[in-house]
Amino acid sequence: MWLWFAKTRVGRSIFRVGLPQSNLERSQAMVSSFLLHVQPAKVNKHSLRASYTLGLGLISLYLFLILIGTGILLMFYYVPSTSQAYDRMKDLQFVVSAGLVVRNMHRWAAHLMVLFVMLHLCRVFFTGAYKRPREFNWVLGVGLFLATLGLSFTGYLLPWDQLAFWAITVGTNIAAYAPIVGPKLKFLMLGGNVVGQEALIRFYALHVIVLPAIAGLMVMIHLWRVRKDGGLSRPDESGDTVESIPLGQLPTNKSYGLMELARGTTPQVGKNPEDEVFSWPHLIFRELLLFLLVIAAVLFLAIFWNAPLEQLANPIHPPNPAKAPWYFLGLQELVSYSAFWGGVVVPGLLVSALVLLPYLDRKRAGVGRWFARERRLANTIFSICLAVAIALTIIGTLFRGPNWSWVVPWHTPPAITEGH
Amino acid sequence: MSDNPVRKFYGWFTALGLVVGVLVVVAYYRDEYRPWKDYQRQYIREEIRRATTPDQRLIAQNTPLQIQQIILPELNRVDRCTTCHLAVEDPSYGGYPQPLAYHPFHDQHPFDKFGCTICHRGQGRATTADEAHGNVAHWDEPMLPLKYIQASCGQCHDASDNPAAPELARGQELFETTGCRGCHKLDGVGGNIGPELDKVGARRSPDWLRAHFLEPAAVTPGSGMPPQKFSEPDIEAIVLFMLSQTGADLPSFYASMKVIPSAEEGRRLFQVKGCLGCHSVGGHGGKVGPALDDVSLRRAPEWMMQHFRDPQSVSPGSVMPRFGFTESEARALTEFLLHLRDQTVALSMPSLLSPADRGRGVFRKYGCAGCHGPEGKGGVPNPNAKTAQQIPALTFVADSYTKAEIKKLIFNGQREIVPLDPHLPAPPLYMPAWGSTIKDAEADDLIDYLFSLKPKGEDLGF
Repeated sequence: MWLWFAKTRVGRSIFRVGLPQSNLERSQAMVSSFLLHVQPAKVNKHSLRASYTLGLGLISLYLFLILIGTGILLMFYYVPSTSQAYDRMKDLQFVVSAGLVVRNMHRWAAHLMVLFVMLHLCRVFFTGAYKRPREFNWVLGVGLFLATLGLSFTGYLLPWDQLAFWAITVGTNIAAYAPIVGPKLKFLMLGGNVVGQEALIRFYALHVIVLPAIAGLMVMIHLWRVRKDGGLSRPDESGDTVESIPLGQLPTNKSYGLMELARGTTPQVGKNPEDEVFSWPHLIFRELLLFLLVIAAVLFLAIFWNAPLEQLANPIHPPNPAKAPWYFLGLQELVSYSAFWGGVVVPGLLVSALVLLPYLDRKRAGVGRWFARERRLANTIFSICLAVAIALTIIGTLFRGPNWSWVVPWHTPPAITEGH
Repeated sequence: MSDNPVRKFYGWFTALGLVVGVLVVVAYYRDEYRPWKDYQRQYIREEIRRATTPDQRLIAQNTPLQIQQIILPELNRVDRCTTCHLAVEDPSYGGYPQPLAYHPFHDQHPFDKFGCTICHRGQGRATTADEAHGNVAHWDEPMLPLKYIQASCGQCHDASDNPAAPELARGQELFETTGCRGCHKLDGVGGNIGPELDKVGARRSPDWLRAHFLEPAAVTPGSGMPPQKFSEPDIEAIVLFMLSQTGADLPSFYASMKVIPSAEEGRRLFQVKGCLGCHSVGGHGGKVGPALDDVSLRRAPEWMMQHFRDPQSVSPGSVMPRFGFTESEARALTEFLLHLRDQTVALSMPSLLSPADRGRGVFRKYGCAGCHGPEGKGGVPNPNAKTAQQIPALTFVADSYTKAEIKKLIFNGQREIVPLDPHLPAPPLYMPAWGSTIKDAEADDLIDYLFSLKPKGEDLGF
C-alpha cells in the first residue's frame, strides 16, 4: 500500500524519491528529505555500532519527542491554578479518555529522559568524544543536561500534590543557599517567598514554553554540530575527514566551491569508501527500530505503573522527610551536612568543571574507544565523582527517613499513629 | 540488488511493531474497560426487566453508558457516585443490594444541591469503587462508616438541636459534661494542655479516636490524658461527636440552611432578640407585654406563628413591632413558647438563674470537670502529683481560700505541680491560666458555685 502510494504522482510530489532501489536513490532519499537531510547520505560503519554509542543520545531525543507529544495532550486539560490543578489530575485519571496513560507516559518518559541524558553524558566522557573538534558540542550537551533537569523540575510542581509541593519547596531552598544571589533567585523562581499560585504559573510557563523552546533549539544545534564536526567520534578519524578545504583548491570554473566556503569538519570525498555505508537503510532503519523500542518501553511502564499522585498540596503539613526529586537527592544529602558546600560549592564546581572540561583536557589520544588506556587518569577522576554522586543519591533516596535520620529501607518504619 | 540491505531489518520491524501494537491495544482496553460500565449495564438490564410498556423498554434499552456527576461549585466538589449508584433517587429500588440501592431520607438534602460526599465522605471524583470509597493511599477522607453518619449532621447543624441526630447530641452532651474543654479547645473555648479539636474529625479515624478515649497513651505515647470510662453507647457517641468536628468552612448557601427550628434555638433567639424587655418569664422581665409563662395554654401554635409574622394581624392594636423573623426563626420561637411550661427549659435561661446555678454552667462550659471531676468531686489521676497522684477535688475550696485567692488561681493557673517523687517525670496535668478565656462575671458565678459545693453542715464543727 505504502509502496504503491510512494510511486503515485501525489506520493512522488511528497517523497520526491520512491523507495530507493539503487545507491543513487539511497543518497537522494537522504539529501532530498527535510527530515533526513540533517544526516549524511553515508555514515561510517563505526557510528552504527550499538556497542559504541548504546543509542543513548538518540533515546534521549526520542524521549524528548514523546514528552512534547504527550505534553501537548496534557495541556488540553491542565489548568495552572492552585484550586484546579489537582482536581484536573484526578479527572485525567478517572474520566478523561486515555488521560491516565498519557500522564503516565509523560511522567515516566520525563524520569527516563533525565536518566538517559546523564548516561549519554557518561558515554561521551568515557569515549573521550568531547575533544577537538567537538568541544563546543559537549558544552551544548551540558546545557541540554541542565535544561533537562530544569524541565523535569518545573514539571514536578504542576500536579500540585504533596509530593510536588514539598519537592519544589526543598529544591528551591537548596537554590537559596547560593551566596548573595540565592535568596533573590529563589524569590524570582517562586514569585514569592513560598510555593504558591505565583510559583505554579511561573513553573507552568517555564515548563511548557520557555524551557522546551530552549531545549528544542539546543537539540537542533547539537545534532547539526554532530554532522558539522565530522559525524560521531571514532578512532583515527583524522584519516577520513578534512577540517576545511583551502580556498581555490577546487577546479576554477566557479569562483568558489560550496565545499570551500563551508567551515567545519566534513568527511573527505573519496577517502576510505569501504568504511562507509549508505544511511538509507543502515542508519535510518536502525533509528526507526530504536524509536519503536523506546515507545514500547514507555508504553509498557505507563500501562502497568501509575504516575504518583499524593494528597492535595498542604502548606501546613510537610511530609517527614520532605524530599526533592530523585536527581537532586544527592545534593539534598550533601546539603544535610553543609548547606554552603552541598548547595553551592559542589554543584557550582561540578557544572563549571563539566563546561570547561574539553578546554582543559586537550590531549587527543584515546578518542573513540571506551575506557581508553591513554585516558586512565581522566576516566578515574570522572568515575570517582560519578560513584560518589550515585552513592549520595541512593542514600538520599532510600536510607533517609523522618528528620533526615538514617533508616534501613528493608525495615518498615513503625506504624505511624496518625488517623488513616 | 540481490542482497537487499533492507531485508535484514524486516524481522526486527515485525517483532517490535507487534510489541508496540499489542501495548497500544492493551492501553486502549484498560482505558475503555471501566468497572462502572458493568454497574450501569446491570441497572439497564434491571430497567428492561421492569419495563411494562414497549416505550419504557425502548427508553431503557437506549440508555447510554455515561459518567453521571453532581457538580457542586460552592462546595468545590464533583460527586460521581451516581455513576454506579444509579438508583439512589428511585424509591422502587428500596432494599436492592448495592450499588443499585435507593437512598432513603434525603428530602431535606436534595442530591443536586448536596451531592454525596459532603455527608458520606470518600473521593467524589473517582470512578472506581476503591478510589471512590477512599480506601486508598493518599486519600485522607475515606467513607464514614454508616454507624457514624450522624457526625456529618454536625458539620452544619448544632448538635443539640437536631432531633434526627440523637447520638450526636449525646456525644456533645458527654463532651461538655465530661469536661473535655478543661484541656482541649473547641471553637476557641477551652484549655491548652491538650491539642485543639476543631479539625480532629478530619484528621483522625474512628478507630483511632476509640482507641484514644480508652487508653490515650497507647496511641499517643506520653499523653497525660486520663483514660475515659465510657459505656459502649457513650464511647460511640463521643467518637461520633469528635468526627463531626471537621472544621469545614461551608459556603453561605449551606450555612444559611443550618438553623433547625428547635426549642433550644428558640431559647437562644428569645434572649438575643431581647424579648424579656417587654415580656416576663417566671416573674423576670418587662411589664409592657403579657407574661408568657403559660402562653401555651392560651394560644395555638398557628396563632403564635402568625403573631411572629405580623403581630397586628392577630392582635389588633398590639404595640409589638414586626421583627421580620424568618419562617424557621418564627417556628423556633413558637417551639420555645410551647415548651416554656416545661421547667427545665425556663430555668436554663441564665438571667433567671442564681449565681451559683450560673456558675455550674460556667464549670461545665470550660470543662472543669475534665480534671476536677463531676461536681468538683475529684478522682482524676495525675501521675506523680503530690496530691495523692490525683488532681485535687474542689469540694472544700471554701475552707482553704478566699474568693479573691481562688479567682487569682483560676486566672493565673498553676504551671508547676509539686511532684511526689522529684526523680520521676513531672505530673503531666496542670492548671492552665484561664484569665484570657473566662470572663470576670463568669468567674464570680463560678466561685459562687464552687463555694456552694461544700457539703451542707460540714462547717458546724468549727
